[in-house]
Amino acid sequence: MNWYDSHLLSVVTFLPLVGALVVAFLPRGEHGQHKGIALFASVVTALASLQLWFGFKPGGGWQFEQKTEWAPAWGFSYHIGLDGVALLLFLLTTILSPIVILSAWKFTEKSVKEFCIALLVLETAMLGTLAALDLVLFYVFWEAMLIPMYLLVGVWGSEKRIYAAVKFFLFTFVGSVLMLLAIFYLWTESGTGGAARTFDYVTLMQQAQFSPQVQSWLFLAFALAFAIKVPVFPLHTWLPDAHTEAPAVGSVLLAGVMLKLGTFGFIRYAMPLFPQAALAAAPTIAALGIVGIVYGSLMCMAQKDLKRMIAYSSVAHLGFVMTGLAALNAEAVSGAVLQMVNHGISTGGLFLVIGYLYERTHTRDLANYGGLAKVVPGLAAVFLVITLSSIGLPGTNGFIGEFLILLGTFTSKIAGGQLLAVIAATGVILGAVYMLFMYQRVMFGPITREENRSLEDLSFREWTTLVPLLFAIVAIGVFPSPLLDAVKAPVDEFVARVTKSGGLPIRAQAREGEVRPAGNPPGLAPGNPGDVPAAGANTVVRPFFPNRAPLAAPAQPNP
Amino acid sequence: MNFNPVDLQGVLPALILMAGGLVLMTTEVFLKVVAGAQPDRRYQPFLSAVFAAAALWAALSSLDSPASSLFQGAATADGLGRAIAATVAGALLLSSLLAFGYLETLGASRGEFYALAQFSAAGMCLLAQATDLLVIFVALEVMSLAVYCLTAWMRKGKKPAEAALKYFVLGGFASALFLYGAALAFGATGSTRIADLAAAVRLAGGGGGPAGGLAWAAGALLSAGFIFKVAAVPFHMWVPDVYEGAPAPVTGFMAAGVKAAAFATLARILVGGYGDANAALGSHGWQEVIGWLAGATMLLGNLLAVPQRSVKRMLAYSSIAHAGYLLVAIAAMAGSVPRADATQGLVFYLASYAITVVGAFGVVGLIERKLSASGASDDLNSWAGLAEKHPGLAAAMALFMVSLAGVPPTAGFMAKLGVFRAAVSAGLVPLAIFGVLTSAAGLYYYLRVVVYLYMMPAKGEAIAPGRMATAAVALAGCAAVVIYLGVQPGGVTAALGPALAAFGR
Repeated sequence: MNWYDSHLLSVVTFLPLVGALVVAFLPRGEHGQHKGIALFASVVTALASLQLWFGFKPGGGWQFEQKTEWAPAWGFSYHIGLDGVALLLFLLTTILSPIVILSAWKFTEKSVKEFCIALLVLETAMLGTLAALDLVLFYVFWEAMLIPMYLLVGVWGSEKRIYAAVKFFLFTFVGSVLMLLAIFYLWTESGTGGAARTFDYVTLMQQAQFSPQVQSWLFLAFALAFAIKVPVFPLHTWLPDAHTEAPAVGSVLLAGVMLKLGTFGFIRYAMPLFPQAALAAAPTIAALGIVGIVYGSLMCMAQKDLKRMIAYSSVAHLGFVMTGLAALNAEAVSGAVLQMVNHGISTGGLFLVIGYLYERTHTRDLANYGGLAKVVPGLAAVFLVITLSSIGLPGTNGFIGEFLILLGTFTSKIAGGQLLAVIAATGVILGAVYMLFMYQRVMFGPITREENRSLEDLSFREWTTLVPLLFAIVAIGVFPSPLLDAVKAPVDEFVARVTKSGGLPIRAQAREGEVRPAGNPPGLAPGNPGDVPAAGANTVVRPFFPNRAPLAAPAQPNP
Repeated sequence: MNFNPVDLQGVLPALILMAGGLVLMTTEVFLKVVAGAQPDRRYQPFLSAVFAAAALWAALSSLDSPASSLFQGAATADGLGRAIAATVAGALLLSSLLAFGYLETLGASRGEFYALAQFSAAGMCLLAQATDLLVIFVALEVMSLAVYCLTAWMRKGKKPAEAALKYFVLGGFASALFLYGAALAFGATGSTRIADLAAAVRLAGGGGGPAGGLAWAAGALLSAGFIFKVAAVPFHMWVPDVYEGAPAPVTGFMAAGVKAAAFATLARILVGGYGDANAALGSHGWQEVIGWLAGATMLLGNLLAVPQRSVKRMLAYSSIAHAGYLLVAIAAMAGSVPRADATQGLVFYLASYAITVVGAFGVVGLIERKLSASGASDDLNSWAGLAEKHPGLAAAMALFMVSLAGVPPTAGFMAKLGVFRAAVSAGLVPLAIFGVLTSAAGLYYYLRVVVYLYMMPAKGEAIAPGRMATAAVALAGCAAVVIYLGVQPGGVTAALGPALAAFGR
């Protein structure tokens, strides 16, 4: 294996940062060069990341793993690697980034150089967060994300941008510092039994065995940090402000990637590291997810500001993801993972389109829209497809994710799973209501403003940014199995680790699909103390969602 | 008492700095004086920087040499002393370059500035090495007297005089407390060596007997003197006025150097003297006291910094807050478990705080020298819109603010990591939780500076900060080290481990 292959993940992660450094040394005022280098760096990153996709072998374990010494005296190392879940979000990030940079080509004349640097640094920070397999490395990237995003909102945002930026930074920082202490506690405890203390995630996963009480505290510290990022109701109040005030690129990256890092944190860190606490908290998490769905949907209906509405729809969509994660079976969790990607594509796309609309009309107020379909038919068509994907129309990506989550939640063994699924399903209906209503108000009816008569349709550049998203919406909607195959192994491992930690009896579930013996999946810690053999009699692995199953979802509105 | 000249090698950094001060003073004699004009003193900052660099090299090159006792136990040459000497010399090096343009612009290049700075730095290095209460006192006064003079350097106007007088009077008070403690310690043990104090405490076994009581009272007074110097609650009142009244480059040097040296001594007295691993004192009474002080310091420092409009005063309160985080490290050093991680955390924190705060006050100095030339007062408004005209300077200031707030990937984050990691592993979880929460509160006022730099439009004409190549080099150096320590701490942590292994044994 040559150097490039063995360091591929590092190369992809740090390529944007290299681009940022190049931009930093270009002369000021050369805006074309700055944007060109930024786009070039992000496109090369995206192309290089495709190699990760094609080189990825579905199955357990860490791939593209690399471990180098960083500060061995203090117990942390540069350890990176990907599993299927991280890979999907990784690709989502590398593909959204050039789109975002291209979309912002004419966005600003103000400090273009800094703008490009902030975007590229943000990309590296997000990629690093996904790739990190060392808790300190993860935390460094996790917090480093905040600075460029803070600047994006605060410098290039709209009127109340400073308030929104500071609120965003403070909320996420307060949540994170307690996680940092929990990480230190893990480090302290990892030294017992003569082993060297370490921050290494893979090692900690094998060692982490705490009493339920300690677990619940540590879980709380981790979950708080991630729940703020997701955001889980009632910690969501920073989100509408940040989304509304952020420039379009900021909103796309915030909704597209950063929120998902919160849910990613749950599936990667908070829940598997502290399985017993996670199991105990699962009903609460699911309930909060449901509250988020219903509350977010209702809030959407009341919004007059287009961006604010989409922001609240994110609260609802991520409520689905949280419910799916907390349902703790293979269907729901893989649905949740898929829905993370879907939300990145569809809500990212929505913010992109709304950004284009805003560039033309300079207003986000719904009252100023109406009848645009006649003026900008291309934009209207794209907007419709993305809206339908966000609703979850069969044939689009959103359907697969939501359906799997609802199915999984309905059959879940957590308390009141069926009721939760029923309430969540009303969220799907509400989603259709507010999204279609919004679309109608923007695109149909009479034109309410004279200025709106002379809007230009999408330019070639703007089409270029949207076509990949449209392609992804349809492709995942029709043919989701490659994605589901990629996440199968980590999802199974996740479910097995959390549900077999004792406490929740696993109901024998042999209706369909293969039945796997109760042994630990490969790579999992051999035996937790509370692991009663009888408790994990059978883990059922159902056949993964077939290619576009001809299923009529019970609560699927068909507009 | 016989004198062994070989021991001088152990205090080489202090000797180099002392020689630097003397050379600088002597060159004054040969300056050509033209009637009515200031002599050309532009060589002085560079000469000062050369001596500081030599001291830095002397300290770093011997960092991992074995520890040895000097002058029959009056001082020690160990990793802690050398690391602090390196921090002090580095701060002096950068501050000399930063002070150059500041003094030139304001016409304050009088002869003794750099010599005083060298003397105070020599005092700091010696202070960090002293293990005898009398030597500590002498070093403390060498350091303090020079710093008092530097504080009053600008002479004109009320603020410098007020600052210097306040610092001098309260500093004298603190020295008196320390001396009183030293006298009690002598009464209790018949010796002024910290090692003998430790032996007496060990013998008293937790405070029984008259000698034990005396020793503990001595410990309280000795620590009080240094808690004043490190600017911790309840002896923090002088900080904002002194920091504001002193010229910005001096403030940066003072915040970095005095804190580093005083914390080293505090660690020697408390950990080496009272918290000896063999002392069998159970939970060590002072750990709890220091813990409470740390909590109060972090809370007050961060809360009082929030309403400040002057960046200098804000940084003064932030310096109080940072004293609190450092006290957490001191508290974590106590106890019978190996405390190497806490010692490393303390030293790493001191070094990273020093480099960051010197840089921050360097930027403040560039703004301040323009402001004082026009007679305006330091206010956040004068920082508005700096990023548009001077992106490099604004980026540097933003970096220093982010580092002070402890956000990765900067030195400040790795420093907080070192300290709080040690606190958690020492079982001080509530203190650590309190600490990180106050640091989150601190984020607010650091971010406000960034808000003004990047997000507020300039009111009228944006301020044109003073320009000087040396200051730019120094600030670039600070920024590079801040990022290096934040991204690649491995080299420093690997060196600190063996260097500090001998401390407190």
